[in-house]
Formats: sequence, structure tokens, C-alpha cells
Amino acid sequence: MDDFSVVGTSPSRIDGLDKITGAAKYVDDLDFGPGLLYAEIVESPYAHALIKEIDTSEAEKMPGVVKTVTAKDFPLTFGLYMKDRYIFARDRVRFVGEQVAAVIARDAGSAKRAAKLVKVTYEPLTPVLDLAEALKPDAALVHPDLENYEHCPWFFPRPKTNIAHWRKTRRGDVEKGFAEADVILEDTYTVPRYAHCAIEPHVIAGYYDAAGRLTLWASSQSPYTQRNIIAEALSPMGLTHKDIRVITPYVGGGFGGKAGVSMEIFGAVLAMAVKGHPLKIRWSRAQEFYNTSQRQGVMAHVKMGVKKDGTITALEHTLHWDAGAYAEYGANVVNAAGLSATGPYRVPNVKIDSVCVYTNLSPTGAYRGFGYSEFHFGLESHITRIAKQIGMDPVEFRRKNAIAEGDTLAYGAKMNPGNMQEAINRCAKAIHWGRKETSEHPDRVIGKDISLFWKAPAMPPNASSAAFVKFNEDGSLNVMVSGMELGQGYMTVMAQIAAEVLTVPVDKIRVETPDTDRNAYEWQTVGSHVTWSCGNAVKNAALDAREKIITTVHRALGFPEESIYLENEQVKCQTQPEFSLPLCEFVINGIQTKDGTYRGGPIIGSGIFMPEFTSATGDPETSQGGHPNVHYTVGAAGIILEVDRKTGKMDVLRTVLAVDVGQAINPVLVEGQIVGGLLQGLATVMYEDIRYDANGKLLNPNFTDYKIPTALDIPQETIPIILETPQPDGPFGARGVGEHTMIPAASMIANAVEDALGIRIKTMPVIAEKIALANLGVEYDEVKGNTMGFCYAKKPDEYPFGILT
Amino acid sequence: MKTHTITFRLNGETCTLDVEANELLLDVLRDKVGVKSPKAGCERGDCGSCTILLEGKSVRSCLILAVEVDEQEITTVEGLSRDGLSPLQQAFLNHSSFQCGFCAPGMVLSVTELLGKNPHPAKEEIQEAIAGNLCRCTGYQPIIDAVLELTKK
Amino acid sequence: MTIAHRFDYERPDSLSGVVSALARYGGKARVLAGGTDLIGWVREDVLAPEALIDLKALDELNMLHCADGVLQIGALVTFNQLLESDAVRRDFPLVFEMAGRVASNGVRNRATMAGNICSAVPCNDSGPVLLVYEATLQIAGPNGTRDLSALEWFLGPRKTALQSDEVLTGITLKKPAGRHGGCWLKLGRYKGEDLAQASTAILMLENGETRIAFGSVAPVPLRAPAMEALLKGRTADAALIAQAQSMLPELIAPITDVRASREYRLHMVGVMLERGLPAAAERLNGNGPDYGTTLI
Repeated sequence: MDDFSVVGTSPSRIDGLDKITGAAKYVDDLDFGPGLLYAEIVESPYAHALIKEIDTSEAEKMPGVVKTVTAKDFPLTFGLYMKDRYIFARDRVRFVGEQVAAVIARDAGSAKRAAKLVKVTYEPLTPVLDLAEALKPDAALVHPDLENYEHCPWFFPRPKTNIAHWRKTRRGDVEKGFAEADVILEDTYTVPRYAHCAIEPHVIAGYYDAAGRLTLWASSQSPYTQRNIIAEALSPMGLTHKDIRVITPYVGGGFGGKAGVSMEIFGAVLAMAVKGHPLKIRWSRAQEFYNTSQRQGVMAHVKMGVKKDGTITALEHTLHWDAGAYAEYGANVVNAAGLSATGPYRVPNVKIDSVCVYTNLSPTGAYRGFGYSEFHFGLESHITRIAKQIGMDPVEFRRKNAIAEGDTLAYGAKMNPGNMQEAINRCAKAIHWGRKETSEHPDRVIGKDISLFWKAPAMPPNASSAAFVKFNEDGSLNVMVSGMELGQGYMTVMAQIAAEVLTVPVDKIRVETPDTDRNAYEWQTVGSHVTWSCGNAVKNAALDAREKIITTVHRALGFPEESIYLENEQVKCQTQPEFSLPLCEFVINGIQTKDGTYRGGPIIGSGIFMPEFTSATGDPETSQGGHPNVHYTVGAAGIILEVDRKTGKMDVLRTVLAVDVGQAINPVLVEGQIVGGLLQGLATVMYEDIRYDANGKLLNPNFTDYKIPTALDIPQETIPIILETPQPDGPFGARGVGEHTMIPAASMIANAVEDALGIRIKTMPVIAEKIALANLGVEYDEVKGNTMGFCYAKKPDEYPFGILT
Repeated sequence: MKTHTITFRLNGETCTLDVEANELLLDVLRDKVGVKSPKAGCERGDCGSCTILLEGKSVRSCLILAVEVDEQEITTVEGLSRDGLSPLQQAFLNHSSFQCGFCAPGMVLSVTELLGKNPHPAKEEIQEAIAGNLCRCTGYQPIIDAVLELTKK
Repeated sequence: MTIAHRFDYERPDSLSGVVSALARYGGKARVLAGGTDLIGWVREDVLAPEALIDLKALDELNMLHCADGVLQIGALVTFNQLLESDAVRRDFPLVFEMAGRVASNGVRNRATMAGNICSAVPCNDSGPVLLVYEATLQIAGPNGTRDLSALEWFLGPRKTALQSDEVLTGITLKKPAGRHGGCWLKLGRYKGEDLAQASTAILMLENGETRIAFGSVAPVPLRAPAMEALLKGRTADAALIAQAQSMLPELIAPITDVRASREYRLHMVGVMLERGLPAAAERLNGNGPDYGTTLI
């Protein structure tokens, strides 16, 4: 795009050497000395039960055991947007695997053996495992005390129900819109729960020292927000933010699962229970699956009206979400979807109801895509179907209705720049859309699809970023930020932004991993927003430092400030072509003036960024008003899919994804998000398959039976396409891209399967078995047995969406 | 419980330790010897992040007891980078092959084993060699591309 | 993470040492070779042996030997050793084809065929192949050694004919007389490593005999004599294959679980016959897809 020297290039990742040599330290790699204690959690075997008694006496007698802890020691709740989650289950348990007690011991084996001796007496209650049951007027309540929970002002829980939040968006008049339509199509789509499966499990280490200071080492996407949640949770015990420090080294993948607080709370309270001793808990893979947070399941009903010429006249989109036992984070997923479930289309008449429902299953929370992957499955499937119903090419239909800059969004604000038309065209070309292809293999057929996507970061209106930069004697730079390097390349991008402003090369810039005592604030590394938000903060900090450099030179040497500039780590002056002063000569020690005195000193810069144009003041009944989403990133994706009719097995011959990132700070890293995100998206629709039994127990909490792709399961070819229509308020024009690349995958598979075989599958996952059986005329849901991937026992068509009016 | 004294070579150095029978090799390497590159990702042998080279062969250290490796030779990624990066590690760096990096040590060892047997592997052979190393971030293509580029004739 | 259960460990330097150790623990010890099943089961408290008796000091059990049409696989031979053996690939191609689909490379460097059939989970990969090759198993115990046909080995899910004081020392396969061709088909959920949801081993001999064994579709791997009788001496054309497929509901009893439904497993075994029988016939004649090609 514009003429940048570092932005837009792809220097080597600055964390690359650490990671390739084994030097990179993750939380579990840190050493805490021989006094480190370990904890084992005692978990509920019931999805819903009263706790009658907890007897820890036998456990406490075991050799090596230091202490046992239950809710009576920490009868507290916590949560990000709502305080509905219990540190230890108090009075009742709400999901299989919920923490009831902890045993702390000098070694992990002793803790594990002793935990088996904790005796808990339960009185089982009817579990709420079915969305329709959960919404009945006389349903058993997962949270009888819902009305007493603190929550952010833009959530609307319904007391005495299982509704944690209900986001309503109303624009125009859908009845009128449907009346104007020539064709109306309505149908139901279901999406089950999913697990993040970061290869590094959650880990927390805590140390509550003799002076009462709590330090936590967390594998985390949000050290500052974790500090905030924990400070708020523990304030009844006298702790405030000043007393808590959160440190995060490298993180082995997050995908949303390490945002907010789940098991990290144990590091805090158990460390407090053993003051003066460090303590560590590393989650097992099974616990990763059932006791962190999952991606919510959703029951989606889409009703769309279109004219013969393809214009969308109305959309009614109803989403009932299975949020599990705690919705303190997941309710925002429901909120985000509720504002944006039109998809990237111009829709004049909109009715969206997005309802967050408590169930007695694992808690849910942030997951890459944050509700958008979930609703795009149904919506993009529906769009292809309705286009075909009116005899229109589904790609042409999308071109006609795709949202563009300046269009009005469902909640009344205006759409930001983003070249959806170019994205569609590039993808269509890459898969030779319109050209039918045949397979060499007699049993295989080939189908194609183009699906669109969009997403905005889902954040509170005052989520902010801050940055400090400081120079060193050799002219190198430290950037102290609290965004998290999850693998996306965040550190490198921040370095490039600082490099662009200060002309220090990227390999002379360090970006420090977060430490809430030392690094500047970052709300969370979520939402695909840190390139934009923290990038702006880093840019501002670099500009601040540059300002100080210029002022120092001016004060010391008298050159006019407006003539001073930086180039190649030197200060230069337009009116003094012979002059050049290397940064390293003065960024610590100042510049000597003619009389031998010095001006300047250590050059440090600080910068913040907080969007001052967003607000969450939309009308609770319509969501009109306010500007809840900062901007959308848009794009399109395409697929050429080969399907074996007999086996149902699928092979992705080619996939392409074009995304408008405004300005790719580092194109190779953007491509990394495209290739990696697409595969993760394809995995959710082609392989991953959560199964609970009829008692709410997760049956496949491991990689043996929850299949994430191996190197053998990748598309034959993945084509990443970067488009750049600058984001006016982004650093050098950048917008986010981390989550978006997953979003179109599910509908691509469902639509391509229909294109290949004529079979329409409306329930995820779209696995080989489902396809093969459908091809034989067998309904998969009737033969899969009574394990549920999804929180509704009957046929999707029977789901009573009208239960809520 | 009885302890067993084991002696093994790790990255060219001799280690002698006392361990109990039920101590896993992964835990002993990480917590007693202090070699952190093999990781605990699933503790069932499904994810490959615990991969080490035992007598030159890639194995899952989470499924091996420390007592089993008496008198054997272990290599981890720290041993490969002692005198600077191996050409494979450099190729991975050049291709931005890793993101979060958690799977990287295991991947490097699996590919190191492959190239020792098969210096010019085809794409499918690379895929097969690393199929037991799960990566959630990259989509595997940059890892495969780095190896193909390094080994092209 | 930690194994909570505490146990003894011994690594005898002779086979008689192994046998006497097993006797000493009175049936409460388990033999350890590769450990890729056993260690996980102990960690997850599925098994709680008092001791693990490690075979790995017994070099004689690490022998993979092929001479005069006899393949001798010692108890310590790993799946990768089988996969990398030219003799196995040339003379016992089904073993080669099956070994390549077991788990992943890093597991195959440790996991042994002997351990695989001692674990005897219903989805085990070796069973059907050993059944069609009619392998013989060598067993050592307090009363000396004995041979047992593989056809008598599998008794139930995770139950074999091995007594608690015995150890499996080796597996012998005899190359069938004349030419032979075969096919190993394994249903997984994707191309990456998976436990079989259904499997079929087909061995076609020059004399017109076709041997078929199924795995993961019954409590134990099993041969299908009725189907073999149908196919004997006849060309497996579309009509004959359809007839064979129609016999399946009587021959196998797949279950529905989180991995697959009974209906899909049954259907896929039919597809295995449809694709496997012609491939085996082509291979018998020296043509057909390379062993190791995935047909389903």
C-alpha cells in the first residue's frame, strides 16, 4: 500500500529463535524450587446435585498432604461480565467435573492419591441437559439466585429462569419485509459445543508471600483482566489490584480458551491457603476439555425473505445458545452474535433474538470466532439454498447483497471500509466457480462453494491498550506491553510498528511478555483487536519517544523541531544535510551542548489507545443506538471438495480465503492466520465431535476420540489472499484478522457437499459418517446412539423456538 | 517405595539419578534434570509434544518410565542447538513455520529422525513423519514447506 | 503427569527370570514391552499391577527373522521394524500394510505387535492379519513353552488365552504356498492416527482360497468361514461381492459408540469388501494398487 519501510514486510519472528531452540519458557517450564506444592481437584460426578457434606479427614491424614480446601474457605464468586461462577461449588454442583474441593500436597502423586479419599455426599437433582427443557416455565433452575448476581449493564438476565442474557436486535419491520418477498425460506441449523484444544493445557502457579502479596504465573491471554477478575473476587478477603501481580511468559495457544479466568482462580486461592509456599496446578487434557470453557452449542432458526431479483428483504434469526453452567464470559458471545447475525449483508428489516441459556454442562466462554462461526454455519448455508431456490447463482446473490462501506448495520451504526466484492471475485476465480469438475475415481464427486464472513471485536466500549517503550545504550528498544504472544506473531507486529516510527530495525527490538507490575495495560488479547488497539498504543508510545528525541536534539543543538527526522537509527536534520547523530549515542546519556552540559537523558515513550467512539447504550429491546462494535473485518472463502459417495470421506482439493486486513503489517503472519485458521475451521465441521452421555458426562475428553487434524488431514492446497483497504483509525491502516479465518469453513463444507451430492446437512459436524448414511437414506441422528453432541434430544425441526416470545 | 538408580546420556552428557518405578520419563526430564523442551500436552501419547529421540528414534516420553532408559541415549532439541542451529531449525525459522511454538520441539525431533533415514522426502512422507505431532496453530503447511525447501535436490 | 499408583519394576536378563518374576507376583504383575498401552492404563487407573516386568533386556526377543518362508517376530519387535523390513514387505505384504496404519511414527517406534495382541482391545490392528495368515504364537510359562494358534488367542475384549504367569515370546507366520495377494482396510475418522472403527483383512491364495478376517466389529477379531466358503474358487465380481455383503449382518456384530454407529460400520465393511476383494485379486496377479494405498 503506502510507502512504509518495515510495515508490510515480513521480517523473521522475533520469538522464532526461542521457540526453535527449546529456549521458550511456558508456565509449566518455570522452576519454583523444591518447596513447590501441588494440588489435585476433587470433582463432581453429577451434572446437578446438592452438596450435603464434604469429609476431607481421611485425605488430610495421608502422607505428604499439607491442606484441603473447600468453598467454606473461599465462599466467593467471580466472572468477567457477570459474577455467576463459584471458586468452589458451594451448596450445589452444576456440571460434571466441577470443582468441589482441593487437596494440596508436597508432590503430585500424594495429592492425587489423597484426593481419592475425599468423601462428598450429594443429593442428585434433575440436570438441565436439554435447551427446550431449560426454557420451560417450570424448568429446574441452574441458578436460582440469578437476580442477585452482579453483571455489566448491557446484559439482560431473566431472574427465575435459565436465561442468562437475551440480546434483541430489531430494525425496520420484518413482517412488512416478508410480505414484500417473493420467496421465503426458513429452517433450523444446529451447532454443537467445541473445544479449543490448544496443545499447551492451562497451567497456573501462585505464590502468596509472607507479606501478603500474591503473584500468579498464568498461561493466559489476559493477565490484566485476570488480575481484575481475581481482585474483584477476592476483595471480600481484603485484596486489591495492588496486592496481585500476574506474569505470563509464552503461551502455547489460546484460541480464546485462556481469556478470562477459569482454573486460574485456584492458583490464587490455594496459594493463599498455603501462605509462603509456591503452588502449581497443571490441568490434564481431560480437564482442559470439561473444566475450562468450551465453545457454546447453538440452535439456530433462520427465516429469510428475498425478491426474485435476489434482494434480501427481511431476516429473522433466532439463536438459542447452550451456555453451560456459567455464562460469565459466554453471555458476551451471545451478545456479539445478537448484534451481527445478519452476516455481512445489507438487510433492511431485521429481527434477531440471541438467547443465552444455562444448562448443567461445562461452562462456555470465548472461542476464536466468538459466536460468528456458529451463526455463519446456518446463515451461509441458508443463503446458498435460497439463492438456488430463486434460480440465482449463489455467488451472484452474495455479490448483490454484500455489505459495503457506509451501509447501515443492524443496530443503526455505519459499516467501515472493507472490499467484500474483491474478496468474492478473487475467491471465485481461484476455485473456477461455475466450472463443474469431475473426479477420476468412480465413487467420488466434486463440489464447490463460496462463503462470506465478517466479524467485529466484541469488547466493552472502554477496552484499552497501553504501551511503554524504552531505549538502551546500544540503541535497542524494549516495548513493554501486555498483549499476549499466543503464536499469532503479536510481538513481531508490535516491533514492526515501533520500528516504522523509530527507524530501529526489528532485530534490535525486544517485546516483553506481560507482567502487570511492569508492563503497560492491555485489556485482553482477544477479539482480533490487539494489532489495532495495542498497535495504536505502541505507535503512540513510539511517537511519544520520537517527540522526545526531537525535543532533546532541538534543546541541545538548536535545530528547528519541524526539520528534525529519524532515518536508519540516526537523527537527521533537513536544514543540516551533513548532520547525523546515532540514537545509541544519546538515548540514555543525553546530548552534550557547547558549554559541556547535557540535555535529555533516558528516552522513554508511553502511549495509550482507547476507542472514544464506541458505546454499549443500545436500546435493550432493539439494540438501536450506540456503537457497540469498533469495526468489522470482512472476507470470503472458497472450496473445491471431493467427496466419496460410499464412504462419505472428504478431501479438500483446494481452499482459498481472501480477507481485507486494511494493512498487513506482516504479510507472512497474516497468511499464517489464514492457513491455520482455515484448518481449525474445517476441523470443527469435518472431524471434531463432542459427545456427552445422558447424565451430562463428557465421553471424549481426549485426542483419541476428539479428533483435531494431523499433518495428513490438511487441504491439498490452501491459497491465502490479502486485501488492503485501510482502516482509518488503525495503526498504518491495519485491522484484525486472527479469528476470521475460521468462520466460513463450516458452511463451505455443507454447501460443497450439497453441490457434490445433492445432500443438505444442517447439523454440525458434517462428518463422513453422516454423509455416507445420508446417501443411503439413513438419518444419522437416529442411529448415533444416545450420546449427545447437542443439547436437544429431539429432531431440530421440533425445537420450540416459539417458547420465548 | 524402592528407588532405582539410572544412568543415561542426555544430549551428550551423562545423567545419573535415583527414580521410583512409577516416575515417567517426561516428568523426570523436565522436573529432575531440568530439560524443558519436551512438553506435557495430553499425557496419553496422542499429541506428540513430549517427543524425544531415544537411541535416535522418536518416542513419546509420556508413555515411558524413567527406569526403562537406563544406559540409553536421549536427544532433545537442546542437544541439536548446542553449536548453533541445525539446518532444519534454520529452515523452520526462515519459513515462520511455528506460531505458539509448543509443538516445535517435538516436530523438530520427528523431522530430524526422518531426514536421518530419508534425506529427500516427498511431501506425503513428511506428513506421515509428523502426523503424530499435533499442531493447532499453523495448519502444518509452513512446517512441510520448510522441510521441502531444505531437502529439495 | 504423575502415575499415582506405586508398583515394583524388574528387568530380568533372561526369559526364565521373567517367568519366575511373574510367578513370584502371583498373577499380579504385568509384562512391559513398548508400554504404549500399558503405561497409559496404569496412569489412568485402568490397571493397578503390583509390578511391571520389563522384557527389554532380552535381546533374543528383539529378533525379526525371515527364512524359508517363515517370519519370526519376537515379542519386542516394533511396528516400525515390521514396516521397514524388506522381507516383510515382500513376503507378508498384509503385515506391512497393516503396520503402516498403526498409530503414528513415534508410537510405532515403541509399540510391539506382541503387545498389541496382548492388550487385545477389540479394535486391535494385528488380530485380523494374524488370523488370515493363521499365525502361531510362542508362549513361555512355568511349565516350559507352548505354541498356540492365533485363531485360539482372542477370547474377549482385553482377554486372551495367555495365563497370568505366562509371557508371549514371539509370533510366527508361514508364507502361504504359491502366490498370494491381500488387502488390509481400516476405517478411521480421518487420515491421521485413529483406532479402527472397523477393519478387514483379506488374503487370496493361488489355490482359490480367500481368507477374510474382520476387526473392531465384534468383541474379538474373527474369521468368516461362511463368507470364505462362498468366495472359494470364484472370481469376486459385482454379483458375488453383493452376495458376500448380504452375509455381513449374520457374521459381524458392530456396536454404536462415540466413534461410529453400528449402521456405518456395517456399511463400511461392505465397502471394504467391494474395494478390497478386487484389489486383492489384482495383487494376486501381480498388479493392483501398491500395498499401503488407502482404498476407503
